[in-house]
Amino acid sequence: MSKSSSIKKLKKQENFIGYLFASPWITGLILLGIFPILMSLFISFTNYNMISDPKFIGFENYRILFTNDNLFWQSLGNTVYHVIIAVPLGIVVGLSLAFLLNNKIKGMGIYRTLFYLPNVVSVVAMSLLWLWLYQPNFGLINQLLKPLYDLLKMEPITWYLDPKLSKLTLILMGLWTAGGSMVIYLAQMQDIPVSLYEAAEMDGAGWFKKATLITLPLMTPSIFFNFIMGLIGSFQVFTMAYIMTSGGPSRSTYYYAYYLFDKMMADKAMGMASAMAWILLFIVLIITILALRLNKYVFYLGDET
Amino acid sequence: MKKIMIIMLALITMLTISACTNDPTDRITIDFWHMAPIGSEAFTPTKQLINAFNESQDTYFVKGTGFSFWDYWDKIAVAISSRTAPDIGLSTLDDVPARASSGVLYNISELIAADPDGIEIDQLYQNQLDFATYQNNLYALPFTATTRVLYYNLDMFQAAGLTEADVPHTWSELKTVAKKLDVVSNGVIQQLGFDPSYGNATYHGWLWQAGLDFFDAELNPTLNTQKHIDILYWIKDFNSEFTRNQLVAFGDANTMLGINPFASERVAMMVETDGLYEIIKNANADFNFGVSYIPIPDEDGIRVNWGSGFSIEMYDNGKNETDQKQGAWEFLKYLMSYNIQLSLAEANGWIMAHKGAMTKFAEDDPILQRMLEEVAYAKDKVYVPYAPSWHGNDWQSYYTAALSGAKTVEMALQDARNNYLQKRDNYNATR
Amino acid sequence: MVKSEVYKSKKRRQLIVHIILHIVLVLCSLVFVFPFLWMLFTALKTPAELLRGIQQFFPTVPQWQNFVKAITSIPFFMYLKNSLIVVILVVIGTTFSATTAAYAFARLNWKGRDKWFVIMLATMMLPIQVILIPTYILYSKIGWLGTRLPLIVPAFFGGGAAFYIFLLRQFFKGIPKELSESAIIDGANHWQIFIKIMLPLSKPAIVTVALFTFMGSWNDYFGPLIFLSNPDHWTLALGLRAFQTQYGGQYNLMMAASILIMMPTLILFFLAQRTFIEGIKFTGIKG
Repeated sequence: MSKSSSIKKLKKQENFIGYLFASPWITGLILLGIFPILMSLFISFTNYNMISDPKFIGFENYRILFTNDNLFWQSLGNTVYHVIIAVPLGIVVGLSLAFLLNNKIKGMGIYRTLFYLPNVVSVVAMSLLWLWLYQPNFGLINQLLKPLYDLLKMEPITWYLDPKLSKLTLILMGLWTAGGSMVIYLAQMQDIPVSLYEAAEMDGAGWFKKATLITLPLMTPSIFFNFIMGLIGSFQVFTMAYIMTSGGPSRSTYYYAYYLFDKMMADKAMGMASAMAWILLFIVLIITILALRLNKYVFYLGDET
Repeated sequence: MKKIMIIMLALITMLTISACTNDPTDRITIDFWHMAPIGSEAFTPTKQLINAFNESQDTYFVKGTGFSFWDYWDKIAVAISSRTAPDIGLSTLDDVPARASSGVLYNISELIAADPDGIEIDQLYQNQLDFATYQNNLYALPFTATTRVLYYNLDMFQAAGLTEADVPHTWSELKTVAKKLDVVSNGVIQQLGFDPSYGNATYHGWLWQAGLDFFDAELNPTLNTQKHIDILYWIKDFNSEFTRNQLVAFGDANTMLGINPFASERVAMMVETDGLYEIIKNANADFNFGVSYIPIPDEDGIRVNWGSGFSIEMYDNGKNETDQKQGAWEFLKYLMSYNIQLSLAEANGWIMAHKGAMTKFAEDDPILQRMLEEVAYAKDKVYVPYAPSWHGNDWQSYYTAALSGAKTVEMALQDARNNYLQKRDNYNATR
Repeated sequence: MVKSEVYKSKKRRQLIVHIILHIVLVLCSLVFVFPFLWMLFTALKTPAELLRGIQQFFPTVPQWQNFVKAITSIPFFMYLKNSLIVVILVVIGTTFSATTAAYAFARLNWKGRDKWFVIMLATMMLPIQVILIPTYILYSKIGWLGTRLPLIVPAFFGGGAAFYIFLLRQFFKGIPKELSESAIIDGANHWQIFIKIMLPLSKPAIVTVALFTFMGSWNDYFGPLIFLSNPDHWTLALGLRAFQTQYGGQYNLMMAASILIMMPTLILFFLAQRTFIEGIKFTGIKG
């Protein structure tokens, strides 16, 4: 028995064990997931009003979306704008909160819970609150800024009612729930071996050095995770625009997923909506595969030998 | 881990078994979906109506399930498309033909023909019946009616030295009265008399009053006449002394979040649906108000308002369930009867489709009486297959662009028209 | 003498840092507590005050009975029981299917692993609206309508778990290989490594996954709305929707009930975050 053959055997075994461990998920995907997914792919090639049977029309839905639908491009543009700003901003805020809340001081548990509160509050409550804050006429923010407006003799900022600011306002509101990614960062921070910090301290490293040379590099797996998930999630953004701005003003917050939803619920054009969904999947998939290349800059302790 | 697995499996089996128990009755079960979920104010009275039906006979057992208004549409849409719809349920009146043509609805006219005294058809509004008709047959019945009226705040009228006699009936009167009701301090709007873009006033509503519409009889988009342009200018310039930003911010409303500028006493007059009356009444608001018909153009004005309603329909899931069909029909007759329509109006605060019942219901309520008058002048929006949401999504952005000045009125109308044309082409291409 | 001096100054510096931290934290907390206060004050308003909408923040006279009304006007305890049945099973199922799959993706070499990984990510990229109807049809064909199974069974097979699988994979990959390698030399198999090394060492991550799953399932009203056809199976999140009626609705009651149902989540979060303090010490790492 040579060494290489035993390694071969081990590898073969690992192949089997790998599938075994993944089998609950893979079985679920094949038995419960594949049919709806393939069905929606099929529907994207049909005319389907969700009442009559779908009628096959080939690539017509795709052709129309790409060549004869201005809203398709506009909503896609809005969404890309949102993704480009919201994803990095979300990471920075989430990380900052995690750093702030990873100190050993009294009452940290309370602080963390308070910071997490917005993630638990109902969306409707959040929306009402945002209106109360941002409403241009009665909102708290504009009331507070009133002296400034008077001083500069400018018209009050109309926040979500201004087509130029509406997307940014919604992004700003979205940051309230950064507590979600904060939890993930916090969890990862606990995985960093204390011995590394102790060694750094012995070399005389201060807080900043420890944060940038040890914490941040070792946080890359969760930063990477939040980045990819942020991409996937932000491309489907829509709830807030639906409740707060109805996609307006002037379609400035009319996001891709919103348009898809309207195609389905308002126009009863499920075939077109499905085509949009598959185009979105394709776009996000390509971006994600590109982003996965960043994986080589991610520092996994388990990869070190 | 193994223990957990065993417990889980046991639990799942238990759940599956417990789910299989049926109603302890040998009657035929009729599924009825409505919008009065447990916990809503309308739940108890709705349940009592259903119970009364169940006690009145012993062949059928109606099982009612209520969903929140905001959830009902998703639920019923999924159910219809998977052919698991309830035997009888509510839907929207203006798109009945779309469902009828797909064969998911039972033909009500056939049922009436076999049972001529079942429904008091003459008690229903003809304009509503027209919407429930497909190829000369009824495929649903109008269940409720809505209407739009002009609400006015009498306290604000009084403060401005006006009385109920000053309530405007023409567009020019509207403007004169509205201006008297504006309250401005330091350039900030404190109270606004009226704005034609606030509340539930719509561009197509104003067009109808001048005998115009978005589409011609063949459903081709119009929007390109000088009159269309003039009316949009009238809306835009009604309060030209204020900036659009000021107006939009002041009139900001959100139905889903229950925010309304008239109910919160910011505007003195506003066009709204009958639903606003319900809101104000339920909340025991402490201001005096009245309603009147929406002011019409000074010359050749037509008294008309946009009204719609829920339909009640029987779903054919393609399973040949004749017993269920008969049961649903019996229950439909029950729901459409005078007494039950009266109770439903009380329970839900809806204007029901039954004229006689509503006249009785509004006996002691002058505001409701005036709204009932307007139901007779109500007209529903036409169903445009290539743009079912022509008045909403498809139009709204052009409307705001025109009002805000982002586009000229002429350009906004032209772009909107082109958009409908494009949607029509795309729709035809996927036929 | 010099040593104690240094110690003292270090102590003082630490105190100052702590005070600054507290000030920053309190200020930030205010921002985050706001939504909750808004909910509370809305819950305590009268219907007439609700009409004034956002123009009024505080209730004139707090209506504490709204809380009682909210509980008594719905079958609160039946909904609670239903929620618990679904949520507990979903948390168990998701944690099970997500940890096993994550282990496969993070620590095992198997053919097609990276392709499956991309497929897993892709399942999250399809907006769920377009697979809703096909999924419903599938469940109706296998006879699951009228039961709770559509909400529970998929969790055991990684349904909706892609997010958690990816998350756990990131954490599992961060556990030093020496640990599992030495265990293999000691004769442990992969299941034992998974149970005895991976799971205990990833406690913060698994707690996070369980917490997120709990929240997702506890607050989900859409799944129950579509897939439950028997009202006796309704969950709290769905039951609460009754307060949101066509015309704005009973927001005070809805907020009162919402506050009550978010309490368990908050308590769980408070307990869960405690695992984020200890800091795991890797005994296997050589300094």
